[in-house]
Amino acid sequence: MTAVALSDPVVGELRRILGEPYVLTGKADRLNRARVPAPFPVHRWAERMPDVVVMPASTEEVAEVVALANRLRIPVVPRDGGTGLTDGAVPLRGGILLDVKRINQIKEIDLVNRTCTVGTGINALKLNEVLAAHDLFYPDDPASYPCSLVGGRIGTSGWSLIGSRYGHTRDLVLSFDHVLPTGKVIHVGDGIGGKITKSSSGYQLKHLFMGHQGTLGVATEATLKLFPKPEAEFSPFWAFEDYDSAYRAVGALARAGVATFAAAVLFDEWKVDYLRRDDEAYIPQPSSVKALVCAALYGYDDEVRAGGRRLMRIARDLGARYLGDEISQGDWAARHDRYATPLHGRTRAGQVVPMSWHCEDASITYANLPAVRLAWHEIAAELRRTSDVFDDWGMFAYTNGSTGADYLTEIDIGIWERRLDDASWAAWVKAKRDLAAVALRHGGSISACHGSCREGEVDLVPEELGGGYDIMLAVKRELDPNNIMNPGKYLLDRAYS
Amino acid sequence: MFLEEWRDAAYNCFSSGHKFCREVCPVMQVTRNESWSPTAFHANVVAMEKGELEVSDVAADYVNCTGCGACELRCPNSLFTGDFYRFRTRTVDLVKAMRGLAVSEGVHQPGWQRWNRLTDQNSHEPVLDGVSQERVRDWADGLDLPVGGETILFVDCEAAFHRTSLPRAVARMLNLAGYTFGLMNEQWCCGGPAAEMGYGEQAQRFARHNLDDWRAHGVRRVLVLDPHDYITFTEDYPRYFGEEFDIEVVLVIELLASMVREGVLTPHVPVERSVTYHDPCRLNKRKGIWQEPRELLRSIPGLDFRDVDRVTQWSSCSGAGGGLAIEKPELTAKISAARVDKALELGVDTLVTACPWAERPLSEVGTIGVVDLHELLAESLGVGEP
Repeated sequence: MTAVALSDPVVGELRRILGEPYVLTGKADRLNRARVPAPFPVHRWAERMPDVVVMPASTEEVAEVVALANRLRIPVVPRDGGTGLTDGAVPLRGGILLDVKRINQIKEIDLVNRTCTVGTGINALKLNEVLAAHDLFYPDDPASYPCSLVGGRIGTSGWSLIGSRYGHTRDLVLSFDHVLPTGKVIHVGDGIGGKITKSSSGYQLKHLFMGHQGTLGVATEATLKLFPKPEAEFSPFWAFEDYDSAYRAVGALARAGVATFAAAVLFDEWKVDYLRRDDEAYIPQPSSVKALVCAALYGYDDEVRAGGRRLMRIARDLGARYLGDEISQGDWAARHDRYATPLHGRTRAGQVVPMSWHCEDASITYANLPAVRLAWHEIAAELRRTSDVFDDWGMFAYTNGSTGADYLTEIDIGIWERRLDDASWAAWVKAKRDLAAVALRHGGSISACHGSCREGEVDLVPEELGGGYDIMLAVKRELDPNNIMNPGKYLLDRAYS
Repeated sequence: MFLEEWRDAAYNCFSSGHKFCREVCPVMQVTRNESWSPTAFHANVVAMEKGELEVSDVAADYVNCTGCGACELRCPNSLFTGDFYRFRTRTVDLVKAMRGLAVSEGVHQPGWQRWNRLTDQNSHEPVLDGVSQERVRDWADGLDLPVGGETILFVDCEAAFHRTSLPRAVARMLNLAGYTFGLMNEQWCCGGPAAEMGYGEQAQRFARHNLDDWRAHGVRRVLVLDPHDYITFTEDYPRYFGEEFDIEVVLVIELLASMVREGVLTPHVPVERSVTYHDPCRLNKRKGIWQEPRELLRSIPGLDFRDVDRVTQWSSCSGAGGGLAIEKPELTAKISAARVDKALELGVDTLVTACPWAERPLSEVGTIGVVDLHELLAESLGVGEP
């Protein structure tokens, strides 16, 4: 255990490195960096406070802070947007919270090689506002697109809604400067890194330094792959009278092999019920509408039209009813804004209560989607039977790739965080473990995008990774000999016992 | 009382926690300090309710808001459920309430305390040395405007004492249109800035004075050229006075746009400038007024107008609002510089705005010409400053 109460000399040393304004010790400063959107009992909020917050402006400053922490055995927790859903950016043992949001400069836009190099504190939407002037875009597009930051995308190895067309964060980040837990700075990419998109030189280390949830260090400056800004977007939404028809249709659409295909999403009947609560697009839909599918195509106008016609034909042949241009365009445009709103929460008696959104995000093969869906809804129903704190907000399944092999499979559980006491928290942790077990039992992975280091699910990570988990322990021990980087995550204390 | 009023709203944000507000917030964009995000402003209320924080712990954090309202527009809670549940995110009001709570508990910000003390003494904000009640109508010297009448032009402190060419342009255009109006009998500051900085009692005292003055002199209609006044008169005054407040409040920009639309005024003098328009936050983000300014700009011959749409401009601000410029001028300067940089990227020579408070910090950046929309229109109507 490396938890310490930070002494004044440490704060003084941090101020020497960073300057007075960028070392924060106020309680509000610390409380506001002890949270992410994932629900947690409010009465335990202060347990996760760091001792001090630092806001470095450069790789060098990050390295100096981490080296100091390593020398003094003080926990360091990297935090960027703080929008993640698996607590990666939340300290479990106090220490130094390393907030990298100030490292957000655009260092270079390389129009010839189609890359840009940015500080990892930058947001993709803001970056795209600048890239638009060059008719380029960076297509890393999570539900949190308006607020997540590049560093967090690297630390979680994020998932993109339009990844079936453009790839996910791991494909889009070419290389980055990375501060190791000792304070040493390395450049990570394929081979030499930089702007190289493919190399066979040596071990493929880029993936190792993505998705570690800050347990292996901090990415500070990244080179990203850019694409032509799509000229056209087509995003049809279709209604179905039952889940099975919608399931068949989404599979057929994803397998069609249309080159401009960027995503397909399946909404099950629980999700449609949830949307009917307050969403003007769905309230007037006839009650026969039980499930929805949408697809998204991106590219040049002529290719999107051709691909769109093909998908429309496939859907129609499978019994789909097109919901019309207005809902289609509106809903796709609003996809980031609609991903959770607290007042969608309902008690069993139907009272509106503000609930936080929890999203499970397993990767499940197409064949196993129906079975996982039923098992997950049963777990959610059991939670709701025991307490008004929980509400089943339905399921989405999103294509992970262009061949339709597997899907980010999401069940959304509303949690009335204000009423989340110790007993209901324990019930939730058990449910998370059960949800993860269902995914593994069906050959899936616990997490497609958030990471899997929250209480409950994390217990099953060694089982999921098998012998690979022992490698994780060995790597952690080797790179972070004093267990200072984000200690307590992913059960990595086992590396030191 | 404060906690009772704001607890549910705070939890509503806390439960969402997505921080869509962060990247559109002008203060966040230049400071990157999460303690000053709209999300944190709500979360602190939850922490106060749980006994984790006192108002004195956070009062200084709440300085870092210009009251622009971008966060409210970008909030996923408001975007989709605002109308449905009658429960909008109201960060601007929350910030004002927290500032008010701080003042009521004796926690003052030094710059704001001084500013409001001087305003109280002089009945106008100390926008420059020598502000006094005797000089509040000096801007109108030589224009032969009557005092009183059913319709009066209310001129905010910055325009009345510092940006005097602006109200002069407005007066000349209204005269040209044959529109009858006068000056206020005894005009005091609207009280809005005091309310924004937490000095609620003073704000209401000033509002009372102005309303009493209007009623005593038969004023039925108040024309305003300042977006900040427009907020104060259409939101604060009705809240203070309820049904007693039966004054019609007219935004000069809307009046001018209707005059141009109806052919009462026709801009005809070519203005050879390339311009872009800075949407004043209180018009665009807080009142949804963005069409009329564009209508006016498009009516001016010779103008090369390169527009940036209103939604993109949610992210922009001059940094002058909400008292930020008084307590943290260095942040206002950074926000203004960022706004001017965006204008320069368009290759224009002039940044047009319609807010007297924005014009000083934007001009002080020094890299672009800053012109007020009213003055530009007056020039094209042939009644510009000689």
